[in-house]
Amino acid sequence: MFDSQIGKWRLHFRRFRWYGVAVCCALVILGLNSIAVSQQPITIKVLMSALEATQWQPLVEKFEAQNPDIDLEIIEGPNATNLVEDLYTSSFLLGNSPYDLVYMDIVWTPKFAAAGWLMELSDRISEAQSQDFLAGDLNGGRYQGELYRIPFRSDAGMLYYRQDLLSAAERKPPETTEELIEISQELQAENKIDWGYVWQGKQYEGLAAMFVEILKGFGGFWIDPNTQEVGLDRPEAIAAVSFLRETIESGISPSGVTTYQEEETRRFFQNGKALFLRNWPYVWALANAEDSPVKGKIGLKPMVYAPGHESAACQGGWGLGISKTTQHPDEAWRVIEFITSAATQKKFILETGYVPSRRSLFTDQEIVAKYGHYPQLLEVQESSVLRPPIAQYAQASDILQRYLSAALTDRMTPEKAMAGAATETRNLLGR
Amino acid sequence: MKQDTLRAREQRTGWLLVIPALLLLLLVYAYPILRAFGLSLFSQNLGTQLQPEFAGLANYSRMIADGRFWQSIGNTAIFTFSALILELVLGMGIALVLNQTFRGKGLVRTIAILPWALPTAIMALAWTWIFNDQYGILNDILLRLGWIETGINWLGNPTLAMVATIVADVWKTTSFVSILLLAGLQSIPQDLYEAHAIEGATPWQSFRQITLPLIMPQITIAALFRFAQSFGIFDLIQVMTEGGPAGATEMVSLYIYATVRRYLDFGYGAALVVVTFLILIVVVALAAYLIAKLRRSTGVET
Repeated sequence: MFDSQIGKWRLHFRRFRWYGVAVCCALVILGLNSIAVSQQPITIKVLMSALEATQWQPLVEKFEAQNPDIDLEIIEGPNATNLVEDLYTSSFLLGNSPYDLVYMDIVWTPKFAAAGWLMELSDRISEAQSQDFLAGDLNGGRYQGELYRIPFRSDAGMLYYRQDLLSAAERKPPETTEELIEISQELQAENKIDWGYVWQGKQYEGLAAMFVEILKGFGGFWIDPNTQEVGLDRPEAIAAVSFLRETIESGISPSGVTTYQEEETRRFFQNGKALFLRNWPYVWALANAEDSPVKGKIGLKPMVYAPGHESAACQGGWGLGISKTTQHPDEAWRVIEFITSAATQKKFILETGYVPSRRSLFTDQEIVAKYGHYPQLLEVQESSVLRPPIAQYAQASDILQRYLSAALTDRMTPEKAMAGAATETRNLLGR
Repeated sequence: MKQDTLRAREQRTGWLLVIPALLLLLLVYAYPILRAFGLSLFSQNLGTQLQPEFAGLANYSRMIADGRFWQSIGNTAIFTFSALILELVLGMGIALVLNQTFRGKGLVRTIAILPWALPTAIMALAWTWIFNDQYGILNDILLRLGWIETGINWLGNPTLAMVATIVADVWKTTSFVSILLLAGLQSIPQDLYEAHAIEGATPWQSFRQITLPLIMPQITIAALFRFAQSFGIFDLIQVMTEGGPAGATEMVSLYIYATVRRYLDFGYGAALVVVTFLILIVVVALAAYLIAKLRRSTGVET
């Protein structure tokens, strides 16, 4: 009888044991789940070209190691810049953009800001914090006084020259447009070099970038973003166009420059066929590569200008903004802070050879040890000029490109072409 | 009296039956056009933060001074008329050949329609490679024949790029024209030719006096179809040249696309659409009028 009692208890115990195990399991699962939910990292998405996405990979890994609560997801887009812009544009036009961060070219900023797709960043960064950034690059992220983009890697146009040939002729690198023409003609006459100066003259965005430098170097302007005034038909602008035409007419530049983009001009210069070249910073590494005929024979300096004015470099570069529709602006900002920090930029630049957006890095010991020309590059970057930061920049640029190309290929006189460009630009701006 | 009410009732039923189709047509054709016209009276672009602001006819007056718009209209006209004429002439020739009886006729007819069946984007990509200056087969053939010294940059030269796009379009759509014309040719009774020949007519006379007048309806249809399609050409150009070099092959549809998608200038884009639409209507009406006049003058009844 006693036995049977024990047997009953056992039975009870067994039954309860299963209940107990089941309840414990449920609790554990629920518990784990709630821990997992609270620790689920927030995903921050950004779109960029597939090429650059690969270069970003080490930065992403480092960021995620330091910030386990954020999952930084890079979406690989096409390598062509305009296609990336199209993808961002459609995602915003359709309403809820899947991207929390916008990695953008400097010229997109006003358009995206004017369309209301970007979050204002002025409150997030103090005056002191922004001091180290290149002024031109930071200003390129402003639209109507408000900051929308923090620069990550910078870019600027400059003049490359053949140091060896200039030294042999006992000439200093040219400061003014007149000196550039004079030196070119002298060395060409002595058969030291085939051509004097190559630049980008094809009808495309690079033409506008090249032209703002010459335009500023002649004391002119394209569009004043504050007053919306158009300066393309002023005497300074016409003089700038005439200078470009003169380089072709006087035989300093090959007539083919009107069909050249960056790469054509780089190959031309790198093969030792030209004395001067207008191009971006990427040329330095390629022209100094082992198999380059001009290795160790070149120098760089800020662009030439008309006597009495000063030199100008077209500001380019990429930076990050926050999408207005993001659910996680604070986490997105933490990504920006990390990516644009001096330490991250330094690591990125040492690996890829891009140009930093922070002034201090141009003279950083490690960077200078690897890229000896960066101190000169800083001089170029400090003379930078922006393409007009207006919302309708893409349209204004297309108008200028069309008329400028017509003037350079002798289909219109500089006066007529610039008058046409100015009229259409004024119509565009509603003036 | 009673008959009248009967007719009225019939008419009413008729209208009732037609109304659903009419509504559908209004919804899919009239509404978008009217909407575009409405939008064209507003400025809705980056300058207005993408909000519509009433602007009256400002978009239209801007168009008058817009050199790029007129250039694109000019390009479209050159492309459309060159392609149209070539396609009609070649299409007629092919149709006449296909109308003959020969062995393997069915097979040849099938092959002839193939280009039309290919997706435009894909065949345009193939033509881009054919015209490539470095690796293109066309330059290769010309070099081997010794007709040229160095490869020609077909798509990099404004005039040649236009020629190249026209050639690609003609290649693709000639078969469409020839099939339409072939249908017309087959509806002509053979005894007409026999009678004409007995009376001593040459083949050319038969063609001029029998074939051409009798397939005029088919020619008209083919021409109108091709005109409307060429005038709105987009895919072929976008793939082959993207409107370049220097805007030399930019068609009006590409310009509208850039205005809306790249510049986000919706109001002005709508104005461009409206004007292009009106130009299309005017040209079609003019063509219909001229063809009707031509028919009367040649004395052909339809």
